[in-house]
Amino acid sequence: MSGRLSAGACEHLLAFADDEHLMGQQHAEWIGVAPFLEEDLAFCSIAQDELGHAATLYELLDADVDALAFGRPAAAYRSCHLVERPCADWADALVRHWLYDVAEDLRWDALAESRIAAVAAVVGRARREEVYHRRHADALVARMLAGGDAGQRVAAAVERLLPSADAIWEPVAGEAEAVGDGTVGASSVELQRRWRATVETTLGPIEWAALDRPDQRSRTKRSEHFPALHARINEVITLDPAAHW
Amino acid sequence: MRTYEVFLKREGKEEFRHAGSLEAADDELAVVLARETYVRRAEGDQLWLVDRRHVVTVAPEFLSPNADKPHRHNDGALVADHRRAQRDAG
Repeated sequence: MSGRLSAGACEHLLAFADDEHLMGQQHAEWIGVAPFLEEDLAFCSIAQDELGHAATLYELLDADVDALAFGRPAAAYRSCHLVERPCADWADALVRHWLYDVAEDLRWDALAESRIAAVAAVVGRARREEVYHRRHADALVARMLAGGDAGQRVAAAVERLLPSADAIWEPVAGEAEAVGDGTVGASSVELQRRWRATVETTLGPIEWAALDRPDQRSRTKRSEHFPALHARINEVITLDPAAHW
Repeated sequence: MRTYEVFLKREGKEEFRHAGSLEAADDELAVVLARETYVRRAEGDQLWLVDRRHVVTVAPEFLSPNADKPHRHNDGALVADHRRAQRDAG
């Protein structure tokens, strides 16, 4: 498949796949320890969906999904720092889920407009699942922001996470090529404009220029948290490279 | 928190059936949480959530007098006995 995609298109899709993969892995950390049973089930379902999205995107690039997902050195990943950081506090995990899924929605919209049929074809299922992710995140965040202790904790989490969330939109070097050849229907600059507008609808006006964004060097530089995360997700495959589950 | 009673219905002629209950802060969160708690394996294709405060309940004492009226159980035995007696006599 990747033979029909430009180098820029491959890099752009890899960045999205890596974000989906690591986001799914991070959400899955809450299995069994989410604040209450129903939320545990909901959040883990969302984690599974994100891992599924990652697999369909990786498949566009390489038939050996596991090798691509797990077997690369750190420098070959194109994830953003938001999905690499641990979120040990539930408020952080929830706010990251919301900020990320608002962005994810827009990224699928841009792929739905792809001129490459195989790329546009993977969008349908993901978007149907995203309806739930957004409704879940929107409902919880709205309820928490309504006031009290929960409101303060969510506001503090927003402050911690907003700089790296805004950096979701730092494109890979190949994005211009991917937009130019029609693999993706909109640039990160355009999607970021829409994302910021949606975020402000919920949170109120934000001084975007004042955010201290992480240094991601066109998504080629991993954060300090990546090595531990990479080691953790490789635990099973290191133990048994032929494992199936 | 509110308590919601959860009802599911499968496609076809089956009726809605009580599946369990759920605590949630509001209607929207109840919808979001009920889907993955009760329908994650496609146990139904229609879902009702009823805020327990809106369920009209009836005290058991109001119902209990009807537990002592066997004459209201018409199983047809009396009519059958009567007809058999008529036939035998005839």
